[in-house]
Amino acid sequence: MSKNNTATDKPGKTGKWTRRAFIGAGVVAGSALVVGVAVRQGNPIDRLSPLLAKGENERLLNAWVKVDADNIVTAVIPHVEMGQGVYTALAQMLADEMDADWNKVRILEAPADMQYVSDSIARDFLAPDLDVPAIFEPTVTGGILELAQAMGLQFTGGSYSVRATGQRAMRTAGAAAREMLVAAAASEWQVPAGEITTANSMILHAGSGKSEPFSKFALAAAEQSLPAKPTLKSPENYTIMGQPKARHDIPAKVDGSAVFGIDAQVPGMKYAAVRAAPVVGATIESMDASAAKTMPGVLQILNMGDFVAVVADGYWQAQQALNSIDAKYSKSEGDSLDQDALFARYATHLDEAGDDGGDMETETGDVAKGFASAAIKVEAEYKVPFLAHATMEPMNCTAWVRDGKCDVWSGHQAPVNARQAAADAAGLPFEDVTYHNAYLGGGFGRRSESDNITMATRIAKATGYPVKMIWSREEDTAQDHYRPSATSRFRGGLDKDGKAVSWDNIHTHLFDPKDAPTVPYYNIASHKIRKVDVPTQLRFGPWRSVDHSQHGFFIESFVDEMADAAGKDGYTFRRELLAGSPRHLKVLDTAAKMSGWGSALPEKHGRGIAFVPSFGSIVAQVAEVDMSGAKPKVKKVYVAADPGFVINPDGFTAQMESAIAYGLTAALYGEITLKDGKVQQSNFHDYPMLRINEMPEVEVALINGDHKHLGGGGEPGLPPIAPAVTNAIFAATGKRIRELPLSKHSFA
Amino acid sequence: MTTVRTFACLTVFLLAGCSADAAPGPVEQIIVREPGAAPVATAATAVAADGGSASALLAEGKAAFANCAACHTIEKGATNGAGPNLFGIVGKAAGAVTGFAYSDALKASGIIWTATNLDSYLADPAAKIPGTTMVAGAIAEPAKREAVITYLESATAN
Repeated sequence: MSKNNTATDKPGKTGKWTRRAFIGAGVVAGSALVVGVAVRQGNPIDRLSPLLAKGENERLLNAWVKVDADNIVTAVIPHVEMGQGVYTALAQMLADEMDADWNKVRILEAPADMQYVSDSIARDFLAPDLDVPAIFEPTVTGGILELAQAMGLQFTGGSYSVRATGQRAMRTAGAAAREMLVAAAASEWQVPAGEITTANSMILHAGSGKSEPFSKFALAAAEQSLPAKPTLKSPENYTIMGQPKARHDIPAKVDGSAVFGIDAQVPGMKYAAVRAAPVVGATIESMDASAAKTMPGVLQILNMGDFVAVVADGYWQAQQALNSIDAKYSKSEGDSLDQDALFARYATHLDEAGDDGGDMETETGDVAKGFASAAIKVEAEYKVPFLAHATMEPMNCTAWVRDGKCDVWSGHQAPVNARQAAADAAGLPFEDVTYHNAYLGGGFGRRSESDNITMATRIAKATGYPVKMIWSREEDTAQDHYRPSATSRFRGGLDKDGKAVSWDNIHTHLFDPKDAPTVPYYNIASHKIRKVDVPTQLRFGPWRSVDHSQHGFFIESFVDEMADAAGKDGYTFRRELLAGSPRHLKVLDTAAKMSGWGSALPEKHGRGIAFVPSFGSIVAQVAEVDMSGAKPKVKKVYVAADPGFVINPDGFTAQMESAIAYGLTAALYGEITLKDGKVQQSNFHDYPMLRINEMPEVEVALINGDHKHLGGGGEPGLPPIAPAVTNAIFAATGKRIRELPLSKHSFA
Repeated sequence: MTTVRTFACLTVFLLAGCSADAAPGPVEQIIVREPGAAPVATAATAVAADGGSASALLAEGKAAFANCAACHTIEKGATNGAGPNLFGIVGKAAGAVTGFAYSDALKASGIIWTATNLDSYLADPAAKIPGTTMVAGAIAEPAKREAVITYLESATAN
């Protein structure tokens, strides 16, 4: 549901724009400086206009920063807010470069529309073989391309927003806008531009004592050419970046006015409850809806082939009627599969691959020679289960298909994909579908999939009237795109001094990012990393930190086992492996020092350390665990993180904390199991979340190690927590955990 | 909302052919009843005295409002969209919905949304109130405007 105009009058409110509202803003923004793809004559990127602008008003659509007559600076953010604070961090980057008054900065989420920016435009700028991340030059062209990519793909994930869109597009746009304003003032005041300074959305000339707000020169600035290469600030001049600015999305979330996908309201809307065939690949052979037909509020009962839907006046009525329907399902080849059979299947494939089979991912040095010379050999096998995302807001989507048009409302990490999915399901061209994005009540990768969009659109197409489809928690748990289960086997070699000399790993499954199983930062003379592809029963998808969520546990558990075999503690052993990498060492040392590594602990307490660079950020964690009870109690986690430069320390720290909550939930309890091909878990009683009394105290130290190369914040805090905890359990008890979750193990 | 309404239960079976389409339609579709029974019944009662032509006009207005609904909600207390909520709009002063950021032009217009004012505004919003942010939704056909206004009046009356 769009909820836009509060952005223009209330500080701290965040606008959500439909395409139509966005055009409206363009029309009313009379005296405005707009920096973006929409340009005027003589501008170096003028040739974009015909590609983008279908009509007079649309010339403004690709703005990413705007100054209006009230001296309000508006940042247009091409990413979605799912609790990670991206609106605020990206706006900080733009506002700082622009010298904008932070209290007069507004935020808008960019509309989801490929008409505005597309890959073809991106390609127009670049040789097709040049990858976007290769652009490090802070040019307007590069920035536009970055934004074009961000909007064209419109994907929020991969801890990408700040390190890519923010670093290159938002900062460049802000700096360009500032230079255009200064040029306009210099021209009017007849003074050299070099004598003009800017601060707090004001333009100042010390010599003459002149000072005016940005808005005074907004129109004149709009006549300036875009600077080809605006100058970006160096960190000592940052005034807004690096500051713990309050989150823009929080007030609305506190007062309840924030609109999430599930809050969509469309006149005449009805509600749908759905139940898919419980085994992947099965279809509904028949359904007995005799009871449902007589139940209150029921409008329609649909057998959609792969799922049953009930449409009713209210959601509860729809769900109750659905519960009364008895469906028969077709046979599926997955019918007999259970958890043990799946891990047995992994083992068979790994056995077949042996010491040299499988697909080679990376190979350095001579591993065979390394093992031949090794004084000590270590071998271990680790397993992790399927995991559900369990977003707080269950999957939902509202759709309306009528008169050759389709409107869809939801919260999605890739709005353009959602729009395409709706178009496909409705059988309509992309341009006849309007997608309305809202806040995401948790994403974690689940909302990068479009199955909910497709289902709701199919239901709405069948009914002809608007329908809000809401999945029950049971459906959400049983029909996820799961983090895959996996098995990983290691062989490691140590020389007579306990130095790691060889590393051989083979694992099932590789998705993304490709570097997740690799350890280039560890100085080991020879290593070889391979994978085997094994079909899994369930649909899989990205889950916070994606493959790092499995490999962080595998690698850091095995490093700890090697340390133990070498007779060293985990911290000392890792220090040796990181020798020669001062930036990595600093992170490791910081976490160890914070934790008082080496100091005495109470009986049955243990410390464990883990170190995982991911998504461009380096993170070390030390967990302190109390094993005196029947189950592990994680008391405290010390985090040291170096994402290059922290744009918003409060937001980044929150991401570290939330990654620990999410990752610890998985480490302690997270497990989706199969029986007869069906997911056995259904709700929070059998797929539990971390409780508040189980949340450890978290202490975070932030390190700005390289301001030119930023890392992400959403995911890197997660991979180290599971191995930090299991390594601590080993330290406390001598029991090595090689399979998650911890609830499978007895500590009595 | 637990009253079982006295509508005939109509069961329709649509047997779709097997298709390789990525998004197939229903294999079986049981239509128990059409939606909107209660609201339509209320509205129908209100205009019953006017006979069939009024209810036809109302239906036409409801259909035409589908375009407006992309920006405007109509139910009481519903969230503002890109445009303000329109519950009770007929007879209301312009710019009166709380929580919606109107243009200065609209706020300063002093207009009361009578059917006549709505008619001229819907014909060409920017001509009636220069500076309005309502940039879409103009309705060229006078008959369609009348239908929409009739619908707004009956469906959102206080």
